[in-house]
Amino acid sequence: MDNIAGTKSSLGWAVNIAVVAMVLLWIIPTVGLLVSSFRDRDAISASGWWLAPFATEQSYRARAGAEGVPDGDAFVVTGNIFDEAGATGSLSAFGVRGRAPGEFPVGTVADLGDGETLTMQANGDYEFRTPEEPDGRGQRIYFLAETPPDFTLENYDTVLGAGGMAQAFINTLTVTIPATIIPILVAAFAAYALAWMEFPLRGVLIALVVGLLVVPLQLALVPLLSFHTQTASFLNWLFDPDAIFNETSDLWVGDYEGRSFVGVWLAHTGFGLPLAIYLLRNYMVGLPRDIIENARVDGATEFQIFTKVILPLSFPALASFAIFQFLWTWNDLLVAKVFLPDGDAAMVMTRKIADDLLGSRGGDWGILAGAAFVSIAVPLLVFFTMQRYLVRGLLAGSVK
Amino acid sequence: MKNLMGGAAAIALMSGAAFAGGHLPIEPGSGDYDWTAYDEFAANTDLSGQSLSITGPWTGDEKAKFDAVVALFAEATGAEAEYSGSDSFEQDIVIAAEAGSAPNLAVFPQPGLAADMAARGQLSPLPEGTSEFVAENFAAGQSWVDLGTYANASGEDELFGMFYRVDLKSLVWYVPEAFEENDYEIPETMEELIALSDQIVEDGGTPWCIGLGSGAATGWPATDWVEDMMLRTQPPEVYDAWVANELSFDSPEVIGAIEAYGQFARNEDYVAGGGETAASTDFRDSPNGLFEVPPACYMHRQASFIPAFFPEGTEVGEDVDFFYFPAFEGQDLGSPVLGAGTLFSITNPSDTANAFIEFLKLPIAHEAWMTQGGFLTAHGGVNADLYADDALRGQAEIIQGATTFRFDGSDLMPGEIGAGAFWTGMVDYTTGASAEEVAAGIQERWDAIK
Repeated sequence: MDNIAGTKSSLGWAVNIAVVAMVLLWIIPTVGLLVSSFRDRDAISASGWWLAPFATEQSYRARAGAEGVPDGDAFVVTGNIFDEAGATGSLSAFGVRGRAPGEFPVGTVADLGDGETLTMQANGDYEFRTPEEPDGRGQRIYFLAETPPDFTLENYDTVLGAGGMAQAFINTLTVTIPATIIPILVAAFAAYALAWMEFPLRGVLIALVVGLLVVPLQLALVPLLSFHTQTASFLNWLFDPDAIFNETSDLWVGDYEGRSFVGVWLAHTGFGLPLAIYLLRNYMVGLPRDIIENARVDGATEFQIFTKVILPLSFPALASFAIFQFLWTWNDLLVAKVFLPDGDAAMVMTRKIADDLLGSRGGDWGILAGAAFVSIAVPLLVFFTMQRYLVRGLLAGSVK
Repeated sequence: MKNLMGGAAAIALMSGAAFAGGHLPIEPGSGDYDWTAYDEFAANTDLSGQSLSITGPWTGDEKAKFDAVVALFAEATGAEAEYSGSDSFEQDIVIAAEAGSAPNLAVFPQPGLAADMAARGQLSPLPEGTSEFVAENFAAGQSWVDLGTYANASGEDELFGMFYRVDLKSLVWYVPEAFEENDYEIPETMEELIALSDQIVEDGGTPWCIGLGSGAATGWPATDWVEDMMLRTQPPEVYDAWVANELSFDSPEVIGAIEAYGQFARNEDYVAGGGETAASTDFRDSPNGLFEVPPACYMHRQASFIPAFFPEGTEVGEDVDFFYFPAFEGQDLGSPVLGAGTLFSITNPSDTANAFIEFLKLPIAHEAWMTQGGFLTAHGGVNADLYADDALRGQAEIIQGATTFRFDGSDLMPGEIGAGAFWTGMVDYTTGASAEEVAAGIQERWDAIK
């Protein structure tokens, strides 16, 4: 009888610690991603994100200038290596071979053989002496430098500034919003019928829906797309006088196309329905029978019961499914690739990021992290606005 | 280092944005391009109001370069042409074709996959006269015709593929400066190459960078290694028999080649982290090790297209160079060269699709990409001065100097093997499975689809 409402569990502290630990565990990768999204590619490969706020030692390579000033029987090249390398920081060591970039400590005069010497200061000033007049490219210099932490908005600039990104953002919304609303509409009706209306084979239908939950959507890609193309072909034949008959594919080609936004909405609806019906039905079946019977006694029709009683009470379940479906369609790449036409006009953000931004630069972690944050901004917004419906008391006030 | 890498993103971005404005990257009439044939083509072809869709494996920077070619076609014909690239092209095109929603043209990186689709009746033959054109105008023309000719659904041979971009695979990339600093010599034979690798290990370095990652196509760089090794340990006839599966995949000759590759990739001294790391590194990232300070590796065996993935500002010939992946002196097999290429096929016939194939016969369609770099062509009518750098001209010379030229074997095998079992098998081998086991598994898959 420990868990009577109103009494505090004696293990409350353990629960708190566990919760804090779980939250940290979940949040750490996200923080890492956020920090990485503000660092450039070199910085990311040089040190972990947890070291980002501290100065790091990085190795650079640059060339000394090629203009020598005669000094006695030698030529002297002077300049600042940070200017040549486009870097900032404090130089700690230098070298002339890639294998040993920090061969000589700062301030020393390095003997490079053949009468050549090189000396460098912490601020990057160098003096290179050579008995022969320098020609062509200048002397190669490697150096290690303490680099102050450097955060940049360049990744976001790349992601947001990519040609067609705004269009891709709109396209993603065009896919996501109907693909969230349509299944909820359909599933709410179906769930009510399966939960509260008496008709034959109801149990079989429910079992069928549960069975569909385990069918992988990859299995349905080709048949479904084929169905869409044939439907489009039929519509072309029916409505489109300009449609051309293509003998190789036995299809009418015209204004209606198998791969379209409507197609992707229908696909997402189909793939989302089993879970939606299952979730909503289980929720609705748990609503108190008294309310529904009261409504029946008062003379409400089934449709009135559904709209006036069930829907408002089911709002938390609808909202939670809406969040699921929204996140899944927002992040989807596969369904969009298969069911949307190719080309910029119908390119969604996931595809833009995967094929256009990352296609040839698979390992650009900074861009990847930036793109991740750009693409989760909207789902986060949706989650935080809808989230209060999730925590709102489920049946508060409806039953006395 | 920093400024080498730093601008990469910005430049690639700018090149992408430039096309959005809709003006031509190469103005007709300018430069040393072949404009006569182009003008003639433009005068004879009017496709205003029609559209053309092309899909292929080129994404990002490569897409931007090909977009310039497509723009010229659109300018000449008035057609609305759009190319879209996909990182998982091999899967996407199969789904689209099965469902009847294929684009007009597809750019196959894999003749094997194109042959599969031709046999299923999903490709349409190229316009009449194309095979004669290719045979006459391409260097080693007949071999390119043969490589693009497959059996159609009723078993008759027809030309389905026209080769456009050719890659040379037997290349080792290195940083000349790193070699100079350590007094390393360019190896002339495989024995010298192995001795050099050992020397680098002795000096405390890591000789090789190998990366097999490539999204859904992970594993293909390893198949190139094995094919190169096959050509260097066995005569070309054995290679041909292997590709046609007349020689079983688990025969000692093949296992020997796989193990010759393993001597490099599974050697933790040769590759940082050994096979496990090689298998999980993206092929696009792995050459970056050459440019790190201190160098993470000294050599990288990869095809001619790889400079597209080097850090921005890297000059081929100055900052990085290549040498021929040498043959064993002891084997007396001459100097074999492995190559590959992408081919255009018609997946959804239309006038615009035929017109684009005609357009690809014009030198300008090749020259427009040649000048942008990262492109080799077999077309004999192009102006070789237009190659973006000496490196590409040098690669053209390697092809000429080859005693044996063989096409990438995995591209010729059936899609299920060459774009499936072989790839995954090589990932398994690289991460520790035995060569016999992997080869037997691939042969089993091959038997299953016969």
